Order: sequence, then C-alpha cells, then structure tokens
Amino acid sequence: MTMQAMIDEWYPVGLFSQLDAAGRGTALMGEPIVVASDADGNAKVTGGNGRVLPVCVRYGHVWSSLGAPKKALFSIPEADQTGRRFVDVGVVRVRCSPLRAVENFLDVAHFPFVHTDILGAEPHTEVQNYKVEIREDVDEVWATQVKFYQPLAAKSASGGITTEYMYRVPAPTCSVLYKTCPPRPSEWDVITLFVQPLAEDLCDVWPWMALFDDTTSLTDLIHFQQTIFLQDRSILENQIPRLLPLDPGLEIPTRADLTSVAYRRWLKRHNYTYGAQLVAQ
Amino acid sequence: MHPDTTGSWTPVALSADLPAGTVIPARIPAGSIALWRSESGRPAASANRCPHRGMSLSHGFVRGEALSCIYHGWSYAQAGNCLRIPAHPGLTPPQAIRVKTYPVEETGGVIWVAMGEPSANPPKFEGFVALRSLMAEAGIAAIEAAAGAKASPAGLVEPAESTGTICLLLSAQEDRQTLLHVLLKGEAGTAARIAASRAAESLRRKAEDLQKKGIAQ
Amino acid sequence: MKLYDYILSPSCYKVRLMAALTGVKLELRPVDFHPGAEHRGPELLALNPAGSIPILEDGDLLLTESSAILVYLAAHAAPEWLASNKPEEAARVQQWLSFSGRLTASLGCARLHEMLLRPGDIGALQAQGIAALRELEAGLVEQAERGMRFLAADRPTVADIACFPYVALAPDGGVSLDPYPAIRLWSRAVRALDAFIEMPGIHRLHELKPEPHIELGKA
Repeated sequence: MTMQAMIDEWYPVGLFSQLDAAGRGTALMGEPIVVASDADGNAKVTGGNGRVLPVCVRYGHVWSSLGAPKKALFSIPEADQTGRRFVDVGVVRVRCSPLRAVENFLDVAHFPFVHTDILGAEPHTEVQNYKVEIREDVDEVWATQVKFYQPLAAKSASGGITTEYMYRVPAPTCSVLYKTCPPRPSEWDVITLFVQPLAEDLCDVWPWMALFDDTTSLTDLIHFQQTIFLQDRSILENQIPRLLPLDPGLEIPTRADLTSVAYRRWLKRHNYTYGAQLVAQ
Repeated sequence: MHPDTTGSWTPVALSADLPAGTVIPARIPAGSIALWRSESGRPAASANRCPHRGMSLSHGFVRGEALSCIYHGWSYAQAGNCLRIPAHPGLTPPQAIRVKTYPVEETGGVIWVAMGEPSANPPKFEGFVALRSLMAEAGIAAIEAAAGAKASPAGLVEPAESTGTICLLLSAQEDRQTLLHVLLKGEAGTAARIAASRAAESLRRKAEDLQKKGIAQ
Repeated sequence: MKLYDYILSPSCYKVRLMAALTGVKLELRPVDFHPGAEHRGPELLALNPAGSIPILEDGDLLLTESSAILVYLAAHAAPEWLASNKPEEAARVQQWLSFSGRLTASLGCARLHEMLLRPGDIGALQAQGIAALRELEAGLVEQAERGMRFLAADRPTVADIACFPYVALAPDGGVSLDPYPAIRLWSRAVRALDAFIEMPGIHRLHELKPEPHIELGKA
C-alpha cells in the first residue's frame, strides 16, 4: 500500500446541508478528522493533530484532503445547468475497498442479477461492445456508448427501455455516470458516486444526482438510488479479497469489463493504490 | 500447505441441511467453500470465490446441474468448469475459467469434503442418525472438557454425562470456533430428539463458558 | 390503507411483504428517513410521537407497531396468517411476535450503525443479535422435529413475517448467518412463498425461475 499518490486528491467528507458547529467525527485514509461549520457557516475540516485541512464545497458535499491538492476538484458542468434537480442521497457505509465500490459502479453486467427487474432482467443479459478510453488531455477514464436493456431505468421511466450510459472516472474514488434521461431525450441524467476512503477496506459512499425530473418527489428519487446502492452493498461486502487486485491473474475480465480494465490500468499508472492489492496473496 | 489434512475428510454439514437446488457456505482446512446440491441431488464443493470478480459463490444460486454466481450469473458445472457467461451469451467460456473443486461424499446423513485425493472413504458411524449442526465459540479442548470425554481420531465425542444418546462429531473452524454435528444413537421419537437438541445447546454453553474462563486452551 | 414507508427499513418491509403476501393494496407515503430524518419532523411526530416508522393509517385507525400492523392486515384480508384457536399455536405466534422486538433492538440497531452510521455499542448489539439468532435457530430445529416448517405452524403466520426481515438482513450489521442451517432453510421457505417481494439487501432467488433462453446477437 502507498498513500502518497492519492493523498493530494479531494475526497467527500460530508453533506454541506448537514454541517453543524459541533462537528462530525469521521476519518480519511485512516486519519480521524472532524467536519464542522465555522462561525460564518463555512465548512471546516480538522485533521487528527488539530491541523486545518484544505476544504472546498461542491455538488452538495464538503470535500477535503490530507495532502495539498494540486488542482481544483473535477468539474461537472451539468451541476450548473438550470432546470436540473440536485439530490443528496446521503451516506452509506460499506466494508469494502473504496476502489471496489467505484469499479462496481462502472459495471452493467451485474444489473440482471443484482438489480433484478429494475436496471436489468434475464434474458436481457448481453453486454454489447462499447468504447473505452483514457482521455489523456483531462486524465480521466471514459466509457461511452454503453447500452443496456432496463425494465425500470429511472423513477421517471414508465417501462422497459434500452438505456445508454457514459461513465467517467475523474478521480480515483469518484465516478460520474451520464444516463439516458427518459423525459428529455436530448439531455443526460447525471448520477455520481463519491467515495470517502475511511481505510483501505472501509468506505463511506455519498451518491449524488443532477436530474431532469419535474414530477417525482425528492424522497422517491432518494429512495430509488438508495435501493440500487443497497442492492450492491451486499455484493461489495462479500468480494474476496477486500482490496482491489491490480495484478492480472487473480480475476478474469471479459469484453464486458473493459471499463474496469481501463480503470485498473489508470489506477496503476498513477500509483493510486490505496485500497488496492498489488501482488496476489 | 496443510500436510496433516491433505487427503483427509472434513464433516462440513448434514445432508438434511442441503436440499436439492441449494448452495451453502462451509469450511475445510483449505478455506471457505461453496457446498451445493444440484437439482438431481448430486452434492458438489468448490472454492467459495468466483474467479471473475471474487464474489463469494455461496451467495449464488443453483439451476439444474450448475452453480451460478449472484454477481454476474457466471455458472459452473460440478467439475468446476465455467459453463456460461451471461454478458456474452454467444461465447463458449474457455477451459481456463474454472473454480477449484473438492471431492464430496455423503454417509450416514453427514456430508464430507476432502482436500486433495483421499486415500480412504470418510468414516462411517454405524447406528447413528444425524440431528443438527451448531457452531460453538470454543475450541476442541473446551468442548472435550465440557463433555468430559476425548474426541476419537475421527472427531467423535461421546459425552460422559449425557443421557447416553447424543454424540458430537467435531470440525475445527477458524478463530477457535468448532462446528458440532449432533448425532443420535439409533432412531428416537420427537420428544427425545428435541431433548437431545437442548442437551447439545447446554453442552455448547458449558464449553463456551470454559473457553471464556480460559480453562481450556 | 396508507403506509408511511422507508424503502430501507426492515420494519416497513414487514408491512409491505405482508400486504403483498395477503393481496392487500397499500398506498405508500415515502418518508425521507435518511438523510432527511423526516420521521423526527413535526408532521410525522404528530402521527407518532415515538418518531418511528412504519405508521399505518386506515380511516381513523392509526397503528405504529409493526406487529400490530401485521395482525391488522392478516385479520383484514387473510386470517389464515393468524394463529388458529389451538392454544399452543396461539402462544407460539405471540412468543415470536414479542421476540421480533429483540431482533429489531439488536440486529436492527447493528445494521443502522454499520450502514447509516447511527450511534450504538456495536459489539454489544452484535452479541445480542447472535444470541437472538441462536434462539431462533433452536426454535426452528424444534419446529422441524415437530414436522413444522415455520415458527408457529406448518404454514407461515404473522410471526414469520415479523422475524424474517431483521434476520435476513443481519449481515448488513456485520452479523453472519453462516452458522444457522435451520434459519437458512426457513428463510428460503419464506422467500419461496407465492407473491413474496424483496427489499434491498435481499436478492431475488433466481433459481425459482428456469434459466432463460438466450437469443443470440439480439439487439
């Protein structure tokens, strides 16, 4: 394990809407931290020895870092688009590697078996070819033209549709999903997975959404996403090993897993190995 | 790896606890296994890990003569070879994709799993019927102390003070846990079987107590 | 009937499951339990000062205890889910309905702690949960010896529905179900009931459906 490469990244540490002066104790990469609001209502994050950590507030969440971030938090242009509803889904803790949580988010082949009759259903199990690349200019992993048949793709969908997805990994423990938007075919719904690494094998997951949906209640939108993520949780807690294996050999990818292959390659290239297992044990 | 246990049999579960078309988790000295029974009734044991994404196979499901992983539906034959990858319905999975399997035998209502190639059949306990299995947070020494009797080389303990009807077949687990298979000497009626189940619970309480007090190592 | 419901609450799921099994149609009113803590807001506290869900509203009847709601649904639509007039069976149903409260207080709180970061002494909660699972396991072993597949009879009753959710979701709170063969068989029998529905954390029993025919190369 090496923390160095990932230590300068931004990580979600709480919902901005739930900040209070008393503060909430949590952890970041093994270090106890406190997330609070200061006298002016601004977010303040303190590290284990009382040192003040870098802070930014974006996409409904407070972000911090144990190191010195070299760049601003990745941008999600849709977060500034009018007409979208922004949904704080809330935290869910998972006993798994933060990298495993992201990799699962990038996968569609499990939909029929884990999100049965919602995001997938037998016999529609085939994953057709899609495009994957590491975009060198922005240094992000992208998968595009991912198509999958879904019985109930979103709260705003009324029946089965073939949904198109685009996946983006802009930071080692964050992913942004762009998904067919049933009420607005020309736009994409944005669903994100922001993962706070508490330890190498423990994480707090903060999903967030920016959707075009004027009819569904906010609570229904939250519950839909919580349903999906809680279905994944029991999978994530039962993968062996807990850490994400980066060396080939321990796990067998197929064509359907090209996004995960690219994600693992990108992690390895940058030495983003907090939560990863490098040598088969 | 486990020279003392290679080729030897471990009693992993009772036959009655593994109906046709189901999979359960179990443990042998080599590690965690997925123990399953096909619809036609044949038991099988494999490593409890799908080689695709490491998901535990005991969370999976049995259809016909195959065990499938709950994560992506990859399915495996009793011989361990991958039969189907649902994401690629047209693909015949390469022979290299397989799970490690272990020999399984059933005798006297007990399912036994071997590591390596066993040189003999699993032990047979003539005249015993299986009642239930229970897990104790106690090592074998504590259970022997509670029972007032030593385990036989085959792992069978005949408690000294019991009503004279129950026997315990022991299987050491991780972290000083022991799986107890409760066997009865001969057929018994409902009331006697319920009494035997309660006697086994009492014995477990006693063994765990001894374990906690550190009387047994 | 209107159910104040949270999709991740095992107690609310008891009610949804009972309704599905007995064919009762519920009007669901989703409550933003997490992260919004709506159950502690003025509207819901006015209905239930205890600040818990589920809450069932039917005309001027207001029920806030899940066991009572199960009994109400069963009495309303499917009395065979209640105890018969055999004294032993009636007592067993009550025994397990009361016991189910201990599952909520142990396994339920362990789950909230491990999943949604609620406060609690996790070691103590898990230990109490394991003690409860052992009791349930012993009870089911004895029922099986009596030729009964369910907690109070050889047919499912409200007692099974009261106990099933927190047991099935024990691993969410870090409590393994591996050591309990009788619970596994019972849980499978519940999940195989006609009209059974899942909640997140309880997967579909895919084996109940035959392997589908795959049409190759279909778009």
